[in-house]
Amino acid sequence: METAGYAVLSRQSGLMRELQLIANNVANANTTGYRQQGVIFSEYIRATDHGSLSMSAAHVRDSSFTQGAITRTGATLDLAIEGEGFFAVITPGGERLTRNGAFTTSAQGDLVTHDGYPVLSAAGGPVFVPPGAADLAVARDGTLSSQGLPIGQIGLLRPPDTKELERDGATLFRAPNGTGPVEDPAIIQGALESSNVDPVLQLARLIEVQRAYEMGQGFLDREDERQRAAIKTLFT
Amino acid sequence: MRALKIAATGMSAQQMRVEVISHNLSNMSTTGYNARRAEFADLHYQQVHRAGTISASDGTMLPTGVQLGLGVRPAAVSVNLAQGSSSATGADLDVAIEGKGYLEVTLPSGAAAYTRDGALKRSADGLIVTSEGLHVAPGITIPADAKSLSVNQQGEVYAYFDGTVPAQLLGQFTLTGFTNPRGLEAIGGNLFTETEASGPPLQGTAGLDGLGMLRQGYLEESSVDPIYEITELIEAQRGYELNSKVITAADQMLAATVQVR
Repeated sequence: METAGYAVLSRQSGLMRELQLIANNVANANTTGYRQQGVIFSEYIRATDHGSLSMSAAHVRDSSFTQGAITRTGATLDLAIEGEGFFAVITPGGERLTRNGAFTTSAQGDLVTHDGYPVLSAAGGPVFVPPGAADLAVARDGTLSSQGLPIGQIGLLRPPDTKELERDGATLFRAPNGTGPVEDPAIIQGALESSNVDPVLQLARLIEVQRAYEMGQGFLDREDERQRAAIKTLFT
Repeated sequence: MRALKIAATGMSAQQMRVEVISHNLSNMSTTGYNARRAEFADLHYQQVHRAGTISASDGTMLPTGVQLGLGVRPAAVSVNLAQGSSSATGADLDVAIEGKGYLEVTLPSGAAAYTRDGALKRSADGLIVTSEGLHVAPGITIPADAKSLSVNQQGEVYAYFDGTVPAQLLGQFTLTGFTNPRGLEAIGGNLFTETEASGPPLQGTAGLDGLGMLRQGYLEESSVDPIYEITELIEAQRGYELNSKVITAADQMLAATVQVR
C-alpha cells in the first residue's frame, strides 16, 4: 500500500537534484567556456514481495558541448575555439581539457590559464611567449607568431567521445580515455567563448521542476488522507 | 537545499561583476587606465557516482556518472592591456606610450612603481615628476632658463634656449616591461608595483626592446569602452535576477516540503 509513496519520493528527490543542477547552470551562465548540464530521468524497478515497484531515478549527464557564443574582447591572449576541440592544460592532478581560452603569461613567460596552469603546445610542451615579443598573433591553427615569425603552436586536443568527460571544476574536464589531436583546429584570437547556458531554457525548466515538485507534494498529501480514511474505515 | 547556496554564489559573482564594471566606468576618463573584466570559473563537483565505476546492481559500467556542480567562484579580474587611443594635448611634458612599456617612478618610500600615465609636470626644483609629484626615472632636471622641451620617440629629452645655444640633451626616459604585465599590482594613482607573478622589471629603451615608443604632446586615454560596459552591466543585472529566481523557486519547493503532513 505504501508503494505509491516511494514512487513519488524517488521523483521528488530527482527533482531536487535537477533544481541543484539548474542552479549550477544559472550560476555559471557567465563563466567562460562553461558547458551546461542536464538531467535524464529513467525508470528504476525494484522487486518487492508484492510484485515490482516502479520508481524514477535522475541521472545527471548530458553535458551539452554545443558551441557557446563567441564574444570579442580584443585582448591578445584571449582565445576562443570555433568547432570541436579543447585547450590542454597541465594541473597538479595531470592533463585537463578546457574551452576557456582566457590566457595570460606567467612570470617566466609561459602561457598559462588564470589559475596558473600551463597551456600545452601542439608538441606537448609549454608555450613560451618571449617577454619582448611585439605584435603577437595567433593563427587559426594555433600558430603563435611575433612580427610575422612563428614562435610556437598552441595545441588543440579532443577526447574520443565528449560524453565520457568528467568535470573537475574551474571549467576543466578530465578525459579518462586519453585524447587525440583535432584535425582542423579553428582558434580565434581576441575573443572568448561564452558559457553555452541557455537562460530561457533554464528558467522554463526551473518553473517546470517547481510545479512538478508541488504536484508531487500534493500527491503525498492526498495519499496521506487516503490512508487515514482507509484506516478509519477499517478500525471503526 | 544546496540549490539555495549555489544560486547565492551566482548572485555574489554577478555582484562582483557589477563592482568591476562600475570601477571601469568611474575610470572612463582616467589617463592610461586599462579596463578590467571579472572572470569566473565553476566550483568543485560532487562525484555522486564516478563515470566508469561498476554499477552494483547488475555489474555494467556507468558510462557517464553523476556529477553535481556546486556553483561559481571568481577566478580573476583580468586587465585588458589593449592600447587606449591617444589624444593630442600639445603640452611639452605630456607623453603617451605607444606600446606595452611603463614609465618608472620613485615612491616616497624609495621603492619603484610603474605607470602608463604620461601627464608629467615640472617640480619646484626643475625635476620631471608625475601629477602626484613622484620622480620619474632616471631623474631629469630641466634648467630654469629652458624655453621649450622636446621629447623624441626614444624618450630623449632636449631643452631649447633663447639665442643661439644649440639644443641640449637633458636625459632619456627609460621604459620598463614585464614578462606578465597582467600580474602587476595596482596601488591606485595609476601606479603599479612588481609582484611575484609579474616577473622582475625589464628595463629597456623606447623604440628598441619591443616596449614601444614615446609620443610627445599626447596622452593615452582610458581603454574603457562605455558601450561594452553598459551591455555588460545589463547582462550582470539580468544574471543576478535569474539567480534570485532560482532562490525563489528553491524556497517555494522547500516550503512545499515543510507543509507536507
